[in-house]
Amino acid sequence: MKLNRTAMSIALVACLTVAGGINRWAYPLWRVNFSPRKNSDLRGLSGDQLLIALAGFREMVAGILWVRADTFFDEGNYDAILPIIRLVTMLDPKQIDVYATGMWHIAYNFTDEQNRSDRRYIPSALALGAEGSQNNDYTYELYFETGWLWYHKIDDDYDKAVSWWEKASTKKDIQTARRNILSMAYLRSGDFDKAIAHYEELLGEAETAFQKTPNDFAARQQRDTLETNLDNVLVRLAQRGNFALKGGYYDQGDYDTKPPYDVGFSARVTVEDSKVLRVEGTWGVQPVGTRIRIVLRDADDPNGRPAEMVWERGDKVDLDPDREATFMQDGLFVKNQAFYRRIDMSRDPTMYPFTTDKYVVEFYYNIRSGPPHLQDRFGYSGEGMTDARYMNTEVRPGQRVIYAKLELTRDQLLRQGEWATKVPVVQTDGFVTTGTNQSTDVIKIPTLRSDREETTGN
Amino acid sequence: MNAVFSIAKTTIGEAIRRRVLLVILLIGVLFLVIAPGLSVLSARQNYTVLTSFTLGVIQLTSAVIAIVLTVYLLPNEVERRTIYTILSKPVYRWHFLLGKYLGAVGALGMMMLLMSTVLVLVFKIMQREASMEDVSRLATAPFFFFVQMSLLAAVAMFFSTFVSPIVNFFLSGGVYLVGTLFSPVFQDLSENKTLAAPVKGAATLIHTVVPNFAQYNIQGGIINQGPELRSVELYYAQIVLYAVFYIAVFLIAGMMIFDRKEV
Repeated sequence: MKLNRTAMSIALVACLTVAGGINRWAYPLWRVNFSPRKNSDLRGLSGDQLLIALAGFREMVAGILWVRADTFFDEGNYDAILPIIRLVTMLDPKQIDVYATGMWHIAYNFTDEQNRSDRRYIPSALALGAEGSQNNDYTYELYFETGWLWYHKIDDDYDKAVSWWEKASTKKDIQTARRNILSMAYLRSGDFDKAIAHYEELLGEAETAFQKTPNDFAARQQRDTLETNLDNVLVRLAQRGNFALKGGYYDQGDYDTKPPYDVGFSARVTVEDSKVLRVEGTWGVQPVGTRIRIVLRDADDPNGRPAEMVWERGDKVDLDPDREATFMQDGLFVKNQAFYRRIDMSRDPTMYPFTTDKYVVEFYYNIRSGPPHLQDRFGYSGEGMTDARYMNTEVRPGQRVIYAKLELTRDQLLRQGEWATKVPVVQTDGFVTTGTNQSTDVIKIPTLRSDREETTGN
Repeated sequence: MNAVFSIAKTTIGEAIRRRVLLVILLIGVLFLVIAPGLSVLSARQNYTVLTSFTLGVIQLTSAVIAIVLTVYLLPNEVERRTIYTILSKPVYRWHFLLGKYLGAVGALGMMMLLMSTVLVLVFKIMQREASMEDVSRLATAPFFFFVQMSLLAAVAMFFSTFVSPIVNFFLSGGVYLVGTLFSPVFQDLSENKTLAAPVKGAATLIHTVVPNFAQYNIQGGIINQGPELRSVELYYAQIVLYAVFYIAVFLIAGMMIFDRKEV
């Protein structure tokens, strides 16, 4: 008996159509629940790695590779870890630890001889964090880690930290203590209302939790901590005049940030030798420990921004930074109202290639990154801080920061051409020689004078 | 349908007696047994590596068994001329093909059941604190691997009606490879709004015609216990239905070819 070929053909087409329909219907659920990667395929893997992925040994191989990476950490072989991190995250995009460790490693561990990290890697670390959080959007962890990179490492553009931590806060598994730090990010980004509102919300939750379990130490501690933090913020905002500023009556009151204090900034950069700078200057603020950011970068770098760079550059994780770019950032430690630092970039040619002709040396101080006792005087946004020459309200809109820029050429930095025998020196207007080289351990203790009698000492 | 079941029963008996399949099965079981040896890794990785490795072994072994088992079913009957004896009886060709397929799936199911039992035992020994819920969660993956391999067996059965076993082996392997690795890629391409219409059309066609084996790889949701699975029962029902219809597609196509084949 022959088959009814027409009926069979119709059945075949019908089954194929139904199967195709089910396939398209089911795919979104597979993608949400079981796809290793949310937004990509396996194009980053070589043939043998594809075979591993195909055979279903992804997680196993990724786990073994990660253990192998641990030995590289122990040996200090940091370069060997980078490709492993990438390979592991491709094979097993659910490895949160690898993403988090990878971000930290990329952003922090590649340093020069004087322990300055290579910040050209930061965009890669951020891209890795973005990819990791997308592939693991059920947990707060990588949102938090990426926010922490902005908050702690970049220590600027705090609205970015806020944005990441706001996403982290929406996740069910976020630890209570880690939600608290979002208020700090709000404060640093200048959004005081949200900082207070967030503290109040957390305090309400903590209070409820404490009422339920009054003998639970952690619940009590959380409530007390939040209460203290909220009190501190309210007192500081009041004393620093932020409520008054918002209400428009700042001029009528006597606040801790008045009158603005002249920090008396000045700086000089001397190119002592090829790629070796001596940086010295004044900072008329008594407490020890202020760090003024210094940045040396290509003048015409398209990713350059005042005292920083464009950190976010898309989602592509490229573990090889821009090898042509030069970007040095350091903190100038202030002691006895002066700073002095010798910056030697000569031993790290790959980190400081000096491929372009013009460079800028930038000095930057933003009180938002400063400690509370200085913020008490200078305000959250620099209302209580001024400088005759270098007060700037443009490089960070809405904030008063100290910003100065000097220019150097490649010949000057490398001490070549006409500068082989001449010592290049560039300095800010009003530079004051202090004669200090900070070799002394003696710290001059200021007298206990009132605010009104403060002097810059210059 | 008695004829179909008789053929299926005979096929299961033959498959169990085939040494090559038993060797593959033995190797698979051996790998499952030595899996705990990988527990030298850190404690945090232990669960991940153990489950990934054991499920990987089951999937790979099952895929090899499914293809090796199926590619020889029809050619062997023709070579041994036993097919003439069967077809001389009141048995339709589609009965024969369906019986052979069901027999292959039955044998595959028995072998996979053995491997899954070993998997559960190894898992319980290594992860003593694991609850029954964890074990049943783990056992979900082999079940869907079985559905996946049933689909692969249908592909191999279809090809066996018109190509030689060696060619069939690589052809079925190739389809499995494409259907596993590239289905998500083609799906994404077909949904990409920035691509040209012909490219999207081609991607949609490939994605529709080539069976999507990737959607049975649900081990990610089992190995990584963090994400909360959404509408998972619906999804499981969808992919079982998908397999049923797609197996029907390959079997109908195979029947139509086998019906005209000079045997």
